[in-house]
Amino acid sequence: MHRKGDSSFSFHLAPSSQPLFSGKKSTSWLAVSKTTAFCGNTVPLYPWTSWAAGKMSFIFMCGNSQSAACLLHCVTLQLRKAWLWLFPAPAVLAEVKCVLFNEEYMNCTWGSRETLKANYSLYYWYRNTSNKVECKHYRQDQDIRVGCHFNQNEIIQFQPFHVLLKASMGGSTLEISKRMELQDLVKPDAPVNLTIHNMSNNQLQLTWATTYPKAKCLEHAVKYKSNKDTDWMEISVNGDVFSLPSVDYKKFYTFYVRSKVNKYCGRTQLWSEWSVPVVWGSNSTSKSTVHWFWIHTVLIPIASCVILLVLVILLVRMERVWVILMPRIPNPSKNFDELFITHNGNFQEWAGVPKDVVESFKPNYSENICYVSELPPKDSYDPLWESSNPPPSVMPSASPAPGEHSPYKNSYGRV
Amino acid sequence: MFHAFFRSTLPVLPLLLVLSPVNSSSCAMENKTTEIHVKYENILIHDINELVNISAQNRDRCCKNKNDKNIKVFFCNDTQEIESLQSMACNMLRFFHKQRISKAFRWKAAFVSCGTLQVLKCKCEGHRKEKICPHVNVFGKEDTETGEQSRKKCNQEVCELKENISSLRSCWNKFEKIISR
Repeated sequence: MHRKGDSSFSFHLAPSSQPLFSGKKSTSWLAVSKTTAFCGNTVPLYPWTSWAAGKMSFIFMCGNSQSAACLLHCVTLQLRKAWLWLFPAPAVLAEVKCVLFNEEYMNCTWGSRETLKANYSLYYWYRNTSNKVECKHYRQDQDIRVGCHFNQNEIIQFQPFHVLLKASMGGSTLEISKRMELQDLVKPDAPVNLTIHNMSNNQLQLTWATTYPKAKCLEHAVKYKSNKDTDWMEISVNGDVFSLPSVDYKKFYTFYVRSKVNKYCGRTQLWSEWSVPVVWGSNSTSKSTVHWFWIHTVLIPIASCVILLVLVILLVRMERVWVILMPRIPNPSKNFDELFITHNGNFQEWAGVPKDVVESFKPNYSENICYVSELPPKDSYDPLWESSNPPPSVMPSASPAPGEHSPYKNSYGRV
Repeated sequence: MFHAFFRSTLPVLPLLLVLSPVNSSSCAMENKTTEIHVKYENILIHDINELVNISAQNRDRCCKNKNDKNIKVFFCNDTQEIESLQSMACNMLRFFHKQRISKAFRWKAAFVSCGTLQVLKCKCEGHRKEKICPHVNVFGKEDTETGEQSRKKCNQEVCELKENISSLRSCWNKFEKIISR
């Protein structure tokens, strides 16, 4: 290392350097001075990357003042930055998470193979830091330690549990420590032996058992629904009995149960897994429901399509069927061809009415047309009978033949 | 005759010292676990949970940086849970007059301590319980300080109190677990 001017240093990384400023990767740079003395402003590091004969030069500057200790602190800080710039710290250190499974064993994990890149070591202790013990059963994922397994004899609840996770990579080591209360990390096993009892008054009673050593320290949750319901009902239960009043015997019920350590024995938020379900109700109802569903949604539409297809084929191929299904519209015009063609529309001739009957309907008298009009009223009222024409007389007569003029046509209303 | 008297009576004194209990518990509820269980579940647990929540509001990052060796740690010893609770509760009463701790925090801590000692019917050395507990009334209405007071600077006493509270809660959990059958 060379000092230039008053406060700038140049530093060369090379295998032949002295141990304190050695460029060997195995040397830990993290043991820097812990002095917190104020050393003034420092200029950010200016890496001067010149690889000449295996050497790299860094030039940095420290503040103007100060004591030798302050300068040394500044120098070591800059050297640390240089080292971290050359060898970045492992991109790691997820949080350590521990779960105590049914108070039988415990697993602590800190990541997965995809995220972890360093070598890990876990140490733990309960009371005294001098009694640190390394994990005896590491959980590995392709040669990377991702967790630690603790047996029951290594677990002590209701005492502060300390872990120290060390991650080393490229000569640098990072540490994470954490303190936990193991009674707050308990995850019980799922309840077992779910049993349903038929009670009076259409009431069901559900009971279960647990493998957790202290059943009185557990609280439970029951989840159930019937085959007619869409959503699950979830009920909290303190004991180990759940009663469901007013059940419908035509429905089919399904029950699940899970457990958690209650607030009196710990502060865990970990529920167990849901238990194996237990069912109650009419099995036939469920089967017939399933069959009816298939009939409605599959069988009937298919049968309808087949029948329709058969009919279409029959219609196309068999004229007899076509005629039955689509009868011809009757056309009566042929019956009247003789009337219009042969007899020229003479209905009587076509109908075969005798000639003398036809003649008898013809009138054989003539009659003058009598025009009747009303004159404006004068002093005396006798206008009508002064006309030269004889008064019209109302005589019942046969209705005139079609086309003939009727004398009573216009005076019908005057009678 | 006098020699015979002293020869016969002298060994009695060491015998009395040996037979007398070394650490006699000053708690009167040793064998009344059912009554303790009822009072804990119905009354005390709620105050303990409130105290734990208040403790969580106080910054604890600075407590992690402090040297753990300076903080006294209480252990909930096996088969001596009541004695451990007594020790923790009596120690927590020390913080009642610490002005560097927010008033709401230390009053609630004292309330829980007094509740613990009352449920277990225990006493403390130096009559600390008799001096403090009568002054600790129902918490909540009389104290008008807001949560801002709880965000005072972190100091050693706050860290000790938080540690004490955590130990007390854990010991109660352990005791409850043992007596629940």
